[in-house]
Amino acid sequence: MKKNKLRFAVQKSGRLKEDSLLYLDKLREAKIFDEVEVLPLRDDDIPRCVAGGAIDLGIVGKNLLYEEKLENLSIKELPFAFCKLMIAVKEDSQISTLQDLEGLRIATSYPRLLAAYLKANKVRASLVELSGEVEVAPSLNLAEAVCDLVQTGSTLKKNGLKPLWTVFESCAVLIARPGLKLSV
Amino acid sequence: MKNLIEPKILQGTRDFLPQQMAKRLYVMQQIRGVFERFGFDTIETPVIEYAETLLGKYGDESGKLVYRFQDNGKRDIALRYDQTVPFARLVAANYQQLVMPFKCYQISRVWRADRPAKGRYREFYQCDVDVIGTDSLLAEAEIAKIIRDVLFTLGLKKIKIRCNSRKLLDQILEYAGIDLNLKAAVINILDKILKIGEEKVLVELADLLGVEKAKAVMQKVTVKGSNIQKLNDINLAATDEVNDFLKLCSDYGIEDEILVFDPSLARGLDYYTGIVFEVDCEEVNIGSLCGGGRYGDLCSLFCKEKFSGVGVAFGFDRIMLALEELNMLNEIAMNSSVLVTCFSEESLPDSLSIVNEIRAAGINAEVFFEATKLAKQFKYADKKKVDFVVVCGPDELAKGEVTVRNLATGKQIAVPRLQLVSYLKGYEEK
Repeated sequence: MKKNKLRFAVQKSGRLKEDSLLYLDKLREAKIFDEVEVLPLRDDDIPRCVAGGAIDLGIVGKNLLYEEKLENLSIKELPFAFCKLMIAVKEDSQISTLQDLEGLRIATSYPRLLAAYLKANKVRASLVELSGEVEVAPSLNLAEAVCDLVQTGSTLKKNGLKPLWTVFESCAVLIARPGLKLSV
Repeated sequence: MKNLIEPKILQGTRDFLPQQMAKRLYVMQQIRGVFERFGFDTIETPVIEYAETLLGKYGDESGKLVYRFQDNGKRDIALRYDQTVPFARLVAANYQQLVMPFKCYQISRVWRADRPAKGRYREFYQCDVDVIGTDSLLAEAEIAKIIRDVLFTLGLKKIKIRCNSRKLLDQILEYAGIDLNLKAAVINILDKILKIGEEKVLVELADLLGVEKAKAVMQKVTVKGSNIQKLNDINLAATDEVNDFLKLCSDYGIEDEILVFDPSLARGLDYYTGIVFEVDCEEVNIGSLCGGGRYGDLCSLFCKEKFSGVGVAFGFDRIMLALEELNMLNEIAMNSSVLVTCFSEESLPDSLSIVNEIRAAGINAEVFFEATKLAKQFKYADKKKVDFVVVCGPDELAKGEVTVRNLATGKQIAVPRLQLVSYLKGYEEK
């Protein structure tokens, strides 16, 4: 493998940042590349920057990659940032089966993943798109349910919500721009 | 008592009710959408033309099928019989204003004074797509890609685009030592291969040409195997055109398995000069969905300028039949998606502002015209197959809410009045 200076994007801040930098150090030690320029970016922007060739490599959550329908960029799943995209409802909610969600509002930042899941399960619901803090939606009467990433479940619990169904299982993935050959 | 006129229509013509029209327009829109995605534009020609413009262009038999009449000014008039001849006339009259190569599509009605039969109408739609003013083989490949994209978009994926080269066919006939005078007759017989089978075609050819020449032709046009194998087995110089065409199609992203080189394909009409196409769908047995090819000179009857082109016509009614048979149009509903009920004269202004908001968000919606029983309003909604009924009576409005019922599930939910539009939008495809 020819060694090049590569542009490598990592999450600027958030749950993937620390482990991404540690993994990058490992790649450096393994001398996968000579030189690398590390670019801290907003995680939402990383998949598109890599798809467009502006960035050579990056680490993002698998959930984001699939939400953006850019899963073809993935070259390796990495053993960190494990989490699940889950549908949760209020702790005292009567909702107990997926079919109960029919016709209700579900707040989420991952409309495509959620829509695909609902479609596969033949449930039609109204998706309320929020950029973040979706767990507050039920208490604001914006939605009857939420669909959000769950690591420990403490955020949901703090907001009086209980997770019921797993929509997508996620971890960190290494992504590369189309045409970049890399053996890792 | 007043004499009533029987509300009848001519045999071979059709009325389409809203439910059918929704499906027809949907399919037409999909086809049009693909043509436009490739940068094609459309034209329109008159329904009525001078008879001399149309007559004598369709051969003796077909010529009799042109609808012809004298108009009030005693002019000899004919109804548009196909889209090709009026297209040629339009190009001959306007070529200086057209951007060449001219990429043109036409979707319009044509009329035939034919005896109506099952699947044969006196009035029907044709869908043509043509590129004129270029000899580039890329135009043929682009037409093939359009065929693929149109049928794939409509959900017809098990298709075979059969293709051949008329130059190659000519060379095969030459190789077999066949007299040029017999060419038309031979092509006529070859075109029947799919219908009557290779053996009967061989018998008919032998009657015409003698056994030896018939066998020589059949040996070339019935080669088997992959496209490459067939081309190698034919082993004549004119296979180059097919080879180049297949390569361009492959580069254009057309899957190998849907493109079948069929050296027996001729497509009767004498005016084809290069690559010809015919498209079948394996899932339904209704014959060819699309056909056409390269022609040497579109406007020869109307002007001295030469315009070579390539074009195909989609059989709109056959495509409709295929999609109906495969139950692929069941979900196509009429236009209204939401009915806002009318509770009382007092709440009517709220109903109207709600329906306006929904429409402003790009959702097709209507308001019920009378403040009558809700049951009656729901019945109407049910018949129109809307997705949602919005009930906004005084109780709901007092709470700042509306009730939305999903007609498919019968389930209803109270939604804050200000969130109604986003609730409805939340169902849109992601």
